Amino acid sequence: MQIQADVSNFFVDGLFAATVMAYLAACALFVAFLGNERFASAGRLAPRLVALGAVLHAGHIVVSSLVWHVCPVEGIHFAMSVVSVLACAVYLVMRRRYHIDVVGAFVAPLALTFLLASRLVAATEPAQRYRSTILPVHVTVNLLGYALFSLAFAAAVTYLLQERRLKNKQLLGIFRRLPSLDALDRAEHRFLLAGFPLLTVGILTGTYWAHEVEAGSATDIARAVLGYATWVLFAAVLSLRAAAGWRGRRAAYGTIAGFTFAVLVLIVYWIKSASALAPVALAASLR
Amino acid sequence: MIVVVGLSHKSAPVEVRERFATSADVLPAVLARLASRPELKEVMFLSTCNRVEVFAAASAPERPDGAVRAVRAVMCDHAGVGEGEALLPYFYERTGPEATRHIFRVAASLDSMVLGEPQILGQVKEAFDAATAAGTLGNYLGRCIHRAFTVAKRVRTETQIGAGSVSISSVAVDLARGIFGDLQDHTVLLLGAGEMAEAAAKSLGKGARHIRVCNRSFDRGAALAGSIGGDAVQWDALGDELVRADVVVASTASPNYVVTRDLVKRAMKQRKGKTLFFIDIAVPRNVEPSVHEIDNVYVYNVDDLEQQVAEAMKSRHAEAEQAEKIVTHELSEFEKWARGQSVAPTIVKLRARTHSVLMAELERTLGGRLRHLTEGDRAALQQMMESATNKLLHAPTTHLRDAGAGADGLDAVQAVHRLFDLPDDAEAPAGEPKREEREGGAGGSGDDGERGKGLPH
Repeated sequence: MQIQADVSNFFVDGLFAATVMAYLAACALFVAFLGNERFASAGRLAPRLVALGAVLHAGHIVVSSLVWHVCPVEGIHFAMSVVSVLACAVYLVMRRRYHIDVVGAFVAPLALTFLLASRLVAATEPAQRYRSTILPVHVTVNLLGYALFSLAFAAAVTYLLQERRLKNKQLLGIFRRLPSLDALDRAEHRFLLAGFPLLTVGILTGTYWAHEVEAGSATDIARAVLGYATWVLFAAVLSLRAAAGWRGRRAAYGTIAGFTFAVLVLIVYWIKSASALAPVALAASLR
Repeated sequence: MIVVVGLSHKSAPVEVRERFATSADVLPAVLARLASRPELKEVMFLSTCNRVEVFAAASAPERPDGAVRAVRAVMCDHAGVGEGEALLPYFYERTGPEATRHIFRVAASLDSMVLGEPQILGQVKEAFDAATAAGTLGNYLGRCIHRAFTVAKRVRTETQIGAGSVSISSVAVDLARGIFGDLQDHTVLLLGAGEMAEAAAKSLGKGARHIRVCNRSFDRGAALAGSIGGDAVQWDALGDELVRADVVVASTASPNYVVTRDLVKRAMKQRKGKTLFFIDIAVPRNVEPSVHEIDNVYVYNVDDLEQQVAEAMKSRHAEAEQAEKIVTHELSEFEKWARGQSVAPTIVKLRARTHSVLMAELERTLGGRLRHLTEGDRAALQQMMESATNKLLHAPTTHLRDAGAGADGLDAVQAVHRLFDLPDDAEAPAGEPKREEREGGAGGSGDDGERGKGLPH
């Protein structure tokens, strides 16, 4: 039995390490491509490594959820990991359509960060009183929403980089390797448009669920407030774009601000998860 | 020995160059005339807007001057300038390693008017194909040109010699692409209908969905619009046109700003923030500079565009230093190969001498004391002699090749000639294959020094 567990853990760790390596290699290739025009082939290879990383990553999630008997859409442990896989998947599907290959330069490190972060947060089984039929729906829509927002964020950052170079009239260097302003602005807007309804459902189900379990701790409240702020910011970005022509730079800043709040929600989850585990860890160390 | 004779943008004005330029249809005839000269063993003719050059391998390596004169004579004759005495100052000649270096530099675009421009490599390839088709290339010059392609590829991939745009129109097109991707769904508005507007329309308007021409004189605007497949609009409609356009090329002769900050701000409101790009190539400027400060609006004037060109050129010149190092390295590799080639005829003679002596002795013995041997035994003995020849000559051949690749190749060749009493006919000190070694040589690639030598080992 012990041997079987060891083999399973070894397999999970192996997949984790392989995923990290693939993402790291993709990051390195993107950096090489953006840093120097002579590494044009690195720019073609990097998205393929993102794809390899995403496949390994998905394998890691499936295998570890089977080994540890944890549902992938429950608890913060997998949530961040799943977000990054979904972000990679959407990027890989959309990169050609939106001409945003270079956005992978942000997606790959983002995926790597989320993967590593998920490792830092130990697996937590949601307390029995928190179990609800609405929870999987809440987590699933939020994960997909996060994936789309992270892509919108990546497009927004790339847009600002490109826009700054154009305003400052610095065209040598990475200017010619970045996607066009229009392509970035369009991609950012569409990712936001797709993510926003999911976020709305996530907020509604989250509110309903919180009401159902009568959650009221400080972190629950902080999370809810940050969640509403995220929704308001994204709603403002989309409305102002439609009504007042807030495109380009302003929309990019709005998207970055919205995504920052969304990440803060995850951090609050993480803090909550870590503090919930602290007594368990203390007890284990005393044993 | 390789020689280069020609004229380029550095040595001759276009009025002179154009007299020597050769079109593709008459190229085979010119190549045939060059090849028919006894002084020339291999030839290739390169004719572009900026250069007319003949690359050749001299039949007598020790007398490259004869080859140079022969090339010049054919070129002048073809251009119909007689002896061309008056045009001599426009010609330049390179011989030996300097000629090879020149060919490498030309292919790598280090000798181009616009440093690092990519077209020259294609033009050299076309010239190479024409010479190959005409059968005027052999192992030596053919190998040199192949090496030039390698140099060009290395320079392009290992340096950033081709980075940045180096003409105002290409900077403008690059900028438009950097903002809009492609212009298929976009509208270009030409403000003014002069020559500059027409030139801009040619470079920018190619991929655009619509081109509109807005000029104070409607008739003149309509004439330009007609010639470029666009639409002319009234000058008064400028405000509305700014709402519709994506790229605006301003080139009017107006002494005041035609496009003001207020006008653009109003247009941007109606555009709902859609990006607008101004290329202001007019002097005095047509677009108020502060327009660039408006969100999603970009203004590049003629100085900005020229600044981009200057920066790109500066960057290319910095890269050229690295490219020259590549050229020097590849040149030394080629020279090493060429020197190795210089010993090839000696090796052939040495082998022939050894083989003939051994075979003659064998034949004599087989006709005498070993007359009784069967056919099988005789074949076995012959095989033995072949093997003995190979083994006996292996070490001298290797040493000779090494010496040939180094500086003391000629000494080694003379020593072998003396030791084995080899026939002392013309030996090529700089190393070129014989005429009969041409076949198949031009298509040869790679760096092995064995091709064309015809040496079983």
